[in-house]
Amino acid sequence: MSARWEFGSRSPGVGATTVDVWQHRWLLRTVAVRAFQRMYRRTILGWLWLVINPLLPLVIRAIIFGALLGVSSDGLPYFLFLLGGSIAWDLFAATLMRGTRALEMHGEMSDLIYYPRAILPIGNIAPALLELGIKLGVFVVALVYYMIHDGRLYVRSDAALLWGLCALVLALIFALAISLFTSVWGETTRDTRFALNQLSSVWYLLTPVLYPMSQVPEAYRGWIVWNPMAVIVETFKWGVFGVGTFQPVLFAWTATAIGGLFLAGLIYFTRTEARIIDAR
Amino acid sequence: MNPMSSSASEAAERSAWSISADARDGFAARVREVWQYRRILWFFALRATQALYRKTYLGVWWLFIRTLVPLIVGAFVFGAVINVPSGGVPYLVFFLAGQLAWNFFDGPLVRASRGIDGNRQLLTKLYIPRIILPLGQMAAGVVEPIIIAVILVVTVVYYRRVDGVWYVQPGLRLMAASAAVLVILWFAFALSLFTSVWQGRARDTRFVLRHIVGFWLFLTPVVYPASQVPARIRWLIYVNPLTAPVETFKWAVLPGMEHSWPWFMYSVGLTAALFVAGLWYFARSEGATMDKL
Repeated sequence: MSARWEFGSRSPGVGATTVDVWQHRWLLRTVAVRAFQRMYRRTILGWLWLVINPLLPLVIRAIIFGALLGVSSDGLPYFLFLLGGSIAWDLFAATLMRGTRALEMHGEMSDLIYYPRAILPIGNIAPALLELGIKLGVFVVALVYYMIHDGRLYVRSDAALLWGLCALVLALIFALAISLFTSVWGETTRDTRFALNQLSSVWYLLTPVLYPMSQVPEAYRGWIVWNPMAVIVETFKWGVFGVGTFQPVLFAWTATAIGGLFLAGLIYFTRTEARIIDAR
Repeated sequence: MNPMSSSASEAAERSAWSISADARDGFAARVREVWQYRRILWFFALRATQALYRKTYLGVWWLFIRTLVPLIVGAFVFGAVINVPSGGVPYLVFFLAGQLAWNFFDGPLVRASRGIDGNRQLLTKLYIPRIILPLGQMAAGVVEPIIIAVILVVTVVYYRRVDGVWYVQPGLRLMAASAAVLVILWFAFALSLFTSVWQGRARDTRFVLRHIVGFWLFLTPVVYPASQVPARIRWLIYVNPLTAPVETFKWAVLPGMEHSWPWFMYSVGLTAALFVAGLWYFARSEGATMDKL
């Protein structure tokens, strides 16, 4: 047995970190399992929350905005429209929240052993992915219901669906990119989470989830470009339902910007990694 | 304990120490106790208010930004994008009036629920009537509505210049508005008698609470008028005890609104019942909760 010990403070580059994360990928499972356990432990309804949590707000919003306020929905049944937008938005919001809390939730693991910390935000988003799966399941059920009810399949069945998938992946990367920053801030300032919660609810309103983009007054539509989530959600809805507009150039720009942010996040995260551990 | 033979020293000890497990004083005794400790109430209120902005980068400005930004975005989205009807009043005024009423519930409830949980350190060291905690914490929740009230006044003055109409008329009706605010605050306090105990036991209560308050907002006619609900099923929305006070508040502040006194009385009755139940629950469980802190 040849054990090699290495002491000292080092700040590896992004490349080295990526390799390191890949070598420690088995830890992702551990972190993911811990994330699930922490989530519903000591709650009365337990795993039921997993279903209630995403569905109840959806149903209430569909009743209030669809039935009561009659918000237009690009010709789709409002529930389906809202569910589609929510799938993309909630993936972003849940990933952002879980990624941000990663260091705080699993930090005590760092006191014991070494591993690349970037594992934590990645592994901790597992429940968000499960929620996505549950929502996709509900989506399929809703599609079948509306097919029987209206005799029409509202979802597209061509290659455009891949754009929807691209949008989902981009939402995930965007959330991860932000949480590479916020998880570090969250370690030193506790308010980060609350500020993020507030920001997230405002951001939600500014993203066309409850309403279609066509509803936004002409004068303000130009500003939407600055909200990457609006572009992502619109692209998702276009890819899945074929409603709304798809602007390939805008989407490409958004993807590039998010890629840049992700890279910047990785650099920031690896630079501060050593410092976070000391700050604990 | 060291057994003592002499009865004199035993008597002396008894007079010096009196520990009784059945500290179930009557209701009047509790109220008197809160009155005796009223200075601590101010202390908690002040501390909770300072906690709103202390140790944040932006200081007091954070408080304003946190209140203002969601209002502006909300008014834009619900008023300009979704075009929610507002009964003839500019949507911004309508929205601010509704938010003002709602924030007398939202902030106070969330803050008051933190009463026991946020003062763990203190509670394990000294005795104070615990009911002071949610009550004092609640005071901090009134700060945001005050900011919104100021914004509402500014907006009304603005529309006076633009439209030449005072959308808020001073008059006797404003008495009804304050009654509505009192009912909303009372309801928040009654509810916090339960939630503060739960949060003392399980800290994640606050996440569940935020969640519930988040969609409770949409079940209450805050961003839309109750008249938007089809008349046939309008009673459904009034079952929510916050609907009537919010509607009464908007009726009292704005012209051309509808409201219903019978439903208002229903809300008052329900709040009173909840309050009594809450007091009973709080008194019954405070001892056990303190042990588990």
